[in-house]
Amino acid sequence: MNTLTKENKQEVTESVEGKDQKSTPTVRVYSPNVDVMETEEAFYFRVEMPGVDQSSVDISIEKDQLILEGKFVMPEESRGQVRLAEYKEGNYFRKFTIGKAIHSDKAVAKMKNGILELTIPKMEPKKTKIEIQK
Amino acid sequence: MLFRILDPQTKANQFWRDFDRLNDELTRSILDSQFGSSSNFPPVNVYTKEDEALVTCLLPGLEPDQIEINVKDNLLSIHGKKKAEDLAEGTEVLRREIFNGEFRRTLELPFRVDREHVLAKFTNGILNIHLPRREEDKPKKVSISIG
Repeated sequence: MNTLTKENKQEVTESVEGKDQKSTPTVRVYSPNVDVMETEEAFYFRVEMPGVDQSSVDISIEKDQLILEGKFVMPEESRGQVRLAEYKEGNYFRKFTIGKAIHSDKAVAKMKNGILELTIPKMEPKKTKIEIQK
Repeated sequence: MLFRILDPQTKANQFWRDFDRLNDELTRSILDSQFGSSSNFPPVNVYTKEDEALVTCLLPGLEPDQIEINVKDNLLSIHGKKKAEDLAEGTEVLRREIFNGEFRRTLELPFRVDREHVLAKFTNGILNIHLPRREEDKPKKVSISIG
């Protein structure tokens, strides 16, 4: 059952390039589920990245582009005979465009139980007073 | 490469936004069929050895006390309920893809399980359940002396 709720707000939009790429024959790129919320002060992202250790998460913000990546590697314990395999190891990737000015240097992220939580504060709109020429 | 135009004013921009959204939904439905990560049917892997089975299940965002595991003979059931977080006043949801609600998976294992020695761990959103085979069902080695 697909429970996605799609909304197309203009403040945070998504670029879909790079999804489901196969960088090698055995490593897949998956598109993790994301919740995006907004308040007057900030944007909040919650990203499902099960199996990803905090050290394997890569978040980058360049201008208005937010890129979220994570590497999921299966533990190297001997697992015996595979009876059922509904998921495989791979990389998570999503990319968003944020249409408002943000403080990328003040972004805060944490990982808990396979969920990445990211807060990006918004920038106050710059006010420029323009004098009317006489 | 696809991109969404931020200016919502023109019909052409509306067309590209609709096109982009449809493409996104198609991509996600293909991924869901492969990975199942957005459903209430969490994906599992099952591995077996001579004396135990290992079942792993993707359950990101859950706390260990929200997961219930039941074992009877060779049937394993994983059940739980994920509650959406309370939103502070003034919070607007722009995108909601993470599943919240009840889920259940029931799996049939190739042998009966020693319920007393089942071991479960929950790390980085992945549940790992070690299910040892019942002692009386383990294959027994019989040494035959030739002479």
